[in-house]
Amino acid sequence: MSNPPIWPKPLILIVDDEPQIQRFLGHALAASGYDTCFAATGQGALEAVAAKKPDAMILDLGLPDLNGKAVIETLRAKSNLPIIVLSAHDQEMEKIMALDLGANDFVAKPFGIGELLARLRACLRKAPQPEDVLRQGPLVIDLPGHSVTRDGAPVHLTPTEFDLLVMLAHNPGRVLSHRQILLQIWGPAHGEDVPYLRVFIGQLRQKIEANPSAPDLIRTEPGIGYRWMAD
Amino acid sequence: MDSKGQAAKTSAMLTPAPWMPRQEGWAALPRLPQVLGAVLFLAVAALATHLTQDSFPEPSGLFLFFVAVLLAAVRFGFWIGIATAIAAFALFNFLFVAPLYTLAIAKPGDLLVLAEFLCVAGLTGFLAGRLREEANAAKSRAAVLEVLSAFATDLAEADEPLAVEQALVLHATALAHGPALVLHEANPDTTDLQAADLQAAERAFRRHIPQDAAEPGQQGGRYTFLPLMQQGQVVLVLGYHRLDSQRPDRFARAAAIEVICHQANLALERLRFAQAAEDARTAATREQLRTALLTSLSHDLRTPLATILGAITSLRQLGATLPPAARDDLALAIEEEAQRLASYVDNLLHMTRLQAGLALHLIWVDPADVIAAAVARAHRAFPLAEITADLPDLPMIRAESALLEQSLFNLIDNAVKFSPPPARIQISTLVQPTSLTLTVTDQGPGIAPDSLAQIFTPFFRANPNLSGTGLGLTICHGIAAALGGSLTAESPVADGHGTAMHISLPLPKASA
Repeated sequence: MSNPPIWPKPLILIVDDEPQIQRFLGHALAASGYDTCFAATGQGALEAVAAKKPDAMILDLGLPDLNGKAVIETLRAKSNLPIIVLSAHDQEMEKIMALDLGANDFVAKPFGIGELLARLRACLRKAPQPEDVLRQGPLVIDLPGHSVTRDGAPVHLTPTEFDLLVMLAHNPGRVLSHRQILLQIWGPAHGEDVPYLRVFIGQLRQKIEANPSAPDLIRTEPGIGYRWMAD
Repeated sequence: MDSKGQAAKTSAMLTPAPWMPRQEGWAALPRLPQVLGAVLFLAVAALATHLTQDSFPEPSGLFLFFVAVLLAAVRFGFWIGIATAIAAFALFNFLFVAPLYTLAIAKPGDLLVLAEFLCVAGLTGFLAGRLREEANAAKSRAAVLEVLSAFATDLAEADEPLAVEQALVLHATALAHGPALVLHEANPDTTDLQAADLQAAERAFRRHIPQDAAEPGQQGGRYTFLPLMQQGQVVLVLGYHRLDSQRPDRFARAAAIEVICHQANLALERLRFAQAAEDARTAATREQLRTALLTSLSHDLRTPLATILGAITSLRQLGATLPPAARDDLALAIEEEAQRLASYVDNLLHMTRLQAGLALHLIWVDPADVIAAAVARAHRAFPLAEITADLPDLPMIRAESALLEQSLFNLIDNAVKFSPPPARIQISTLVQPTSLTLTVTDQGPGIAPDSLAQIFTPFFRANPNLSGTGLGLTICHGIAAALGGSLTAESPVADGHGTAMHISLPLPKASA
C-alpha cells in the first residue's frame, strides 16, 4: 500500500532511544511519503518540536531521561500536535495515562508497519467539516434528524446511545479511552463508570452491528477504550 | 538488654526465702559419726588429764575437758556441744574430782563448772553452726552464679537455636544435679521418660504452666517441666531432674533454672528476629533480581523483536516503494537484531545453567584455540574494532570450551561497547606455575570506582544508555568460578583510563 506523496510531505518526528527502531521507521515512513526527523530523548523531542514544527510525533514511552508522559504533558500545554505513543503490551496503565494526558493514539510494540501507518493517517486526517450526515458502510447517521438507518431500515436509539454513536463516528480510526467517552457523554461525575459504558456499548452493538458478537464497527481496545473503524 | 537490671534480678532471686527450712543449720540434729567424734574428744581429754594430773595442778585437767567441749561444739554443732558439755562434766567429776569414781558433787562450786561448760558449748556450737551454714550458702551461691555466668557466655556465642538449647540443657543439668532435657512439641524425643513424666510434659505443653515434680499430683514423675513461651506459643519445654529435697539451696537452684530459661527464651527470640531479618533481606534481594530479570527480558527481548517485526512488515508492505539501499538496510537490521536475540538467549541459558549448578563436562582444551575462536566471533560482530591477541604456546587446561569462549566473547563485547570507536582490544596471556590468566584489556574510559564493586551483579549496567543486558559480566564471573578459577577487574590500567579483565584458571598438574 503506497500513498501518493502529499505536497508538502508531512514531517514526522520519531522519538525513540533505540537506534534500530529509528532505523526501520525512517525507511518505512520515507517510503510511505513522509519526511522524518529523530530524537532519542524527551528533552531532544521537545527541542525538535520547537525547531522543526513536525506534523505528527511518534513517541516511545520508555525514554532514558524524561518519561514519555512528561513529554506529552509539556507539549499539550501549548500545542495539539498529533501524538502516537509506542508502548509495550503490558504497559496498559501507561497507555491509558498517555491517552488521558492527550496522546491521540497508541501502537503496542512489537507492531506491523501497516498498523502504525493506519494510525498515522487517522491522526493526520483533517478534522472533518461538520457534516449533517455521517455514513459508515450500511449505516447512515442523520445528525439534525437524530435518526439512524441501517440498510435503509430505521434503528431506534436512546438519546445517550445516539450521542455515544456520534462521538465514536466523529473520530474514525482513533482510539477513545473509556475516560474520554465517559467524561464527554455522561459528565465529570462518571469518569470511572467503565462497567456502565460497557453496557451501553453492548446495546449499541446489538442495534448497529451486523454480527454483535464479532463487531466490525466498534472495536474494543482491551483495557483502554473503543475505536470506530474507518473504511 | 539492661545487664545491670538483669544482674540485680538474678541475685534477688538467689537470696533464700526467709521461711526456708534450715536443714543444715546451727540446730541440725546430730548424726552417729559426730557422736563418735565427740566421744573420742572426751576420751582423749580424759586420758591426757589422767597422764598429767601428777605433774600439773587440778585446773589444767578442767582446761583439757574445756577444750574438748569447745572442739566438739565447733566441729559438730549445737546439740553435740551441749551433750558433750554434760558428758564432760560428768566424766571429769567421776574421774578426777573427789570423791573419786562417784558422780556426787562435793562442792557447790563444781556446779558453776557445769554451767560454764554448757554456756561455752551452746554458744560455740551455735556460732560455728551459723558460720558453716553461711559458708555453705555462699559456696552454693557462687556455684549457681558460675553456672549463670557460663550460660550467659554460651548464649552470647550461640548463633542458632540448637546451640541455645544445648547450652540450656548443659547448665540446667549443672543446676539440678541431674539430667535435663529439651522437648519440642512437634518432635519430642521422649525415650528417657517414664509415663508420669510424659504426662507432666504433656501438661506443660497444653496448659503453658510449669509442672513441678515435687508437687502433689505428679504421680511420682522424676522431672520438673518448664514451658518457654513466645507470643502465646510454647516454643519448647525444659525438663530437669527433681531437686534433692534435702538440699537447703534447692529453692535458689530452682529460681536459677527459671532465670536461665528466661535468658534462653530471650536468646531464642533474638535468633528468631535475626532469622526473620535475614529472610527479609534475602527475599528483597531475590525480588530485586526478579524485577531486574523482568525488566531485562521485557527490554532486551522486545526491542529486537519490534525491530525485526517492523522491518519485515515494512519490506512486505512497502517493498515496491522502498529504494534498494533501504531494503538492504532493513534486511541488515533484521539480521543484526536476530543475532542480538540469539546472543541474549545464549547468555540467559548459560546463566540459568550456572545458577542451577549443572555439572560441567570438562575436557582437555587448548586455550589458544578458544581465544582464536572468541576473537574470530568478535571480528564478525564488531568489524570496526581492532582486536589483537598474542598467542604463545599455552599449556592445556581442563575446561568446557564453549563456556570459556562465551566468557571471552562477553569480555570483548563489553570492552568494545565501552570504548570510543575504533575500539582497540588486546588479549594477552600469563602462565604461572599453578594458573593461567587470560586478560582482555581495552583503552576505554575505565570503570568508575563505585561501579567496580557492582559490575558482576546480575543486570547491573554501568551505563544504562548503552544497549546491553547487564548479564555479560555476571556470566563471565559464573563461568570462571565454575571452571575453578576467578574473574577480576582492574581499572584504570594506565593514565586513568583503560580496563583489564583477568580470567584466572587453574593449571592441572599434568598439563605442563
